[in-house]
Amino acid sequence: MSEIYSKRMNRRRFLAAGTAGLALLRPVAGAGAQPVFEEIPPETSGIRWVHDNAASPDHYLPETMGPGCAFLDFDNDGWMDIYLVNSGPCDFYKPKKPIRNALYKNNRDGTFTDVTEAAGVPGGTFGMGVAAADYDNDGFPDLFVTAYGRPILYHNNGNGTFTDVSEKAGLGAKIFEGHWTTSAVWFDFDNDGRLDLFVCSFVDDGTESHLSCGDNKLGRKFYCIPRVFKPTASLLFHNNGDGTFTEVSRGTDIEKALGKGLGVVATDINNDGRMDLFVANDTVQNFLFMNRGPDSKGRTKWEEIALAAEVGFSEDGRARSGMGVDAADFDGDGWQDLFVANVDQEMFSLYKNNKDETFRDVAFKNEVAQATRLLSGWGLRFFDYDNDGALDLFLANGHPDDMIDNYSQAVKYKEPLLLFHQENGQLRNVSNQSGPVFAKSFPARGLAIGDFNNDGRIDVLVGNNGGAPVLLRNHSGQDNHWLGVKLQGTKCNRDAVGARLAWSASGVKRTRMKNNGGSYLSSHDMREVLGLGKAAKLDWLEIQWPQPSGRTERFTDLPVDRYITITEGKGLS
Amino acid sequence: MRAFAKALGLALWLTCTPLTCISLAQPQPSSDALLRRAVELHQAGDIPAATSAYRAYLKQQPGNVMALSNLGAALAKEGQYEDAIVEYKKALEIDPRNLPVRVNLALAYYKTSQISLAAEELTKAVQQQPTNRQAIFLLADCDLRLGENKKVIGLLSPLEKASPNDKALVYLLGTALIRDNQSARGQMLVDRILREGESAEARLLLGTTKMNAQEFAEALVDLKKAVELNPQLPDVFSYYGLALLTTGDMAEAANAFRKELETNPNDFVSNLQLGVIFKQDQRYDEARSSFDRALRVRPGDPAVRYQLATLDLMTGNVEQACAKLEQLTRDTPNFVEAHVSLATVYYRLKRKADGDRERATVLKLNAESQAAQPGAKER
Repeated sequence: MSEIYSKRMNRRRFLAAGTAGLALLRPVAGAGAQPVFEEIPPETSGIRWVHDNAASPDHYLPETMGPGCAFLDFDNDGWMDIYLVNSGPCDFYKPKKPIRNALYKNNRDGTFTDVTEAAGVPGGTFGMGVAAADYDNDGFPDLFVTAYGRPILYHNNGNGTFTDVSEKAGLGAKIFEGHWTTSAVWFDFDNDGRLDLFVCSFVDDGTESHLSCGDNKLGRKFYCIPRVFKPTASLLFHNNGDGTFTEVSRGTDIEKALGKGLGVVATDINNDGRMDLFVANDTVQNFLFMNRGPDSKGRTKWEEIALAAEVGFSEDGRARSGMGVDAADFDGDGWQDLFVANVDQEMFSLYKNNKDETFRDVAFKNEVAQATRLLSGWGLRFFDYDNDGALDLFLANGHPDDMIDNYSQAVKYKEPLLLFHQENGQLRNVSNQSGPVFAKSFPARGLAIGDFNNDGRIDVLVGNNGGAPVLLRNHSGQDNHWLGVKLQGTKCNRDAVGARLAWSASGVKRTRMKNNGGSYLSSHDMREVLGLGKAAKLDWLEIQWPQPSGRTERFTDLPVDRYITITEGKGLS
Repeated sequence: MRAFAKALGLALWLTCTPLTCISLAQPQPSSDALLRRAVELHQAGDIPAATSAYRAYLKQQPGNVMALSNLGAALAKEGQYEDAIVEYKKALEIDPRNLPVRVNLALAYYKTSQISLAAEELTKAVQQQPTNRQAIFLLADCDLRLGENKKVIGLLSPLEKASPNDKALVYLLGTALIRDNQSARGQMLVDRILREGESAEARLLLGTTKMNAQEFAEALVDLKKAVELNPQLPDVFSYYGLALLTTGDMAEAANAFRKELETNPNDFVSNLQLGVIFKQDQRYDEARSSFDRALRVRPGDPAVRYQLATLDLMTGNVEQACAKLEQLTRDTPNFVEAHVSLATVYYRLKRKADGDRERATVLKLNAESQAAQPGAKER
């Protein structure tokens, strides 16, 4: 078997070598072959929802900022469902027909059914993004929907329905007054076993009078550059464990650091066991909030260190237009690296962790800077799309100015998706070998990853501004093995955000941290898919659960090419 | 239009010829013969032999201004501008009011990209002889390159009434006005040029005006046309490159800057922008060369000094970056990017207190900048 396989691969490699150069070790999407990522049309998926961006001649900035999207298993049936965020009525927009968010239930056959009304999650405000997680540890993921206007916390009732508990939970309209919320992330900052909530706050859009950026040379209004708006402070809420939250950012660096937050990822930068936050800001510096643990009064101390860490500004000392972010140990050295996407001409940054709370931008070395010079990036994610064990990178792009085509030759409103594959420790742009969808252009914003067909190959969902979402089915890595792991905390937070996984396959050891957040306005499949490459067996898997237990559990004789659930202290189920 | 460009070119590119009014009273007879021979060789075009003869003569008569000046001219002819500068300066020490020598010194500075020194000498020349058009035009060109648009306007405006049809004057003055954002008056001069018909000069000025108004795509059309009409026109590729850069075509922009520098190696903008492109592409040695040339054109320019400092930072020369940035932030205390980089340097050097101080300055400057935003008008 292996010999025949090997011969087959050699022929494939030989054929690929003539056209694909460096892509020798990767299946190439050629004539007749399945693309790496295949666009699933609405008529196949059943996802017919379309984002309404509320576009108007006045060009109000919120119009161009959404939408976010999510993969989540809301009914706990083991299949990823989809949530899509829409705009809605607000002070400048009165829709002529009803607009709503959408929850699509996975029919387990590649199709989805719209269950929004039955589930009770239509939104109703001018929605931006979504963060899904099980904040009350009841085993069912809840939804926090950010908005221009009042955000909504939907509690999952566990029976296919949700309840808007925003006011009851202390996350009502009043506490978000003056905040235009964008990305949000659930994470346990104080290691008490409950997920807390960080919410990015974008600009101060003023009162009902709003801001206008006048006529441009086309004689029309255009979207204000966020520079003209005042910055705001993002918000951190502590989960009280009784269904309510308390704002705890007052007096901390989170409150002092006025920004224009668009993207956030929670991760552990310095491996101290406490989750930190990296926030991408538009036109002001990015923030890196280091979690220094409790002070003498038991309050968590946050220290903003982005400038010292060299992730706040460009190498030319400029604040850029940070939008999407992510964190991952992309080079496998055991330390979390960072990524931030910016607007065109600014290039995106890939920050390698120097292991001393500083970073070095290695985007150029990894072909990312060159490929993104003319692009504006939003949703993005590190993941191992071909299960070879190394993390790759997916970028969703689109220019915020819908009139940019009129005054720029090279920059367009709709932009291509980009896929980077990791080869020998370096990211390589493989977009043009990865399917026809990469030759198309989109006004992309949010991006979520998740394995909607449970084949172990992680799929992608892209939210498009003013258009239909794009669902991409992943066909790559057919010859590679994998193990999908759903972690279920008992002492720690139920979603095990902050857990560390280490595994060995064919003697090759790899590690991963279960971050949360990342991308832009979006939320991902909570399961981890461990790529094993050609190894048909996993030597062992170690889970270091987050605090408060912090226990490490080791597993052997695990199956491969399927999903398993591991419960803290209870093993496989 | 060719005549127009030629007129402008003539003003900018004076040639150095030997001075032949030899004073026979000063040197000894044997020296005199040596000098005559040097001048003959010079006039015959045998510059190396003439140079040797001048040097031999000057060993005997080191204070002869004409010989020093001629030696300078011979050296300049051979492209040895730095050596020429030494001889011209010696001549001027002896005879500070020698106008041709001063203009030649200015030209040598110009040729070696020392534009501010050239402007200094030309300012003295114009003060000495306010009607010297060659000096005036050359000074105007230097001032344009130094970004001293107001000086150009002050220099050329008085001449405009007397010579309203002097195309070189109208062009230089129009360029300065447009670069100084005096669009209305600049537009009048552009119109005057346009009445003469299609020309590279008119297109360049139109393109420049549109660039100032941030109408980049439209500017690109004019500048492309200007390039097609006269690729030799000073600054034409430089502005075309800027338009390409702002519309996102970095590769073509780099080509345009390179073309400008082929004919106009002293162009500040092209040297600076090409350096920035090299730096982004991590071609650090080439970036440094470009920045060095730009700095030579505009010594002390904060933007170039900043680029050089961050180049040091990127290439691991942290101490050098530190020294440059400390000086830069002293000279230009509101240069926020310089404070950011200086803070970075301090943090890298583990000078946390200094880093925190710079960080506080950054926060303060950014807050001031945010407060000073014009803001969008309320609907």
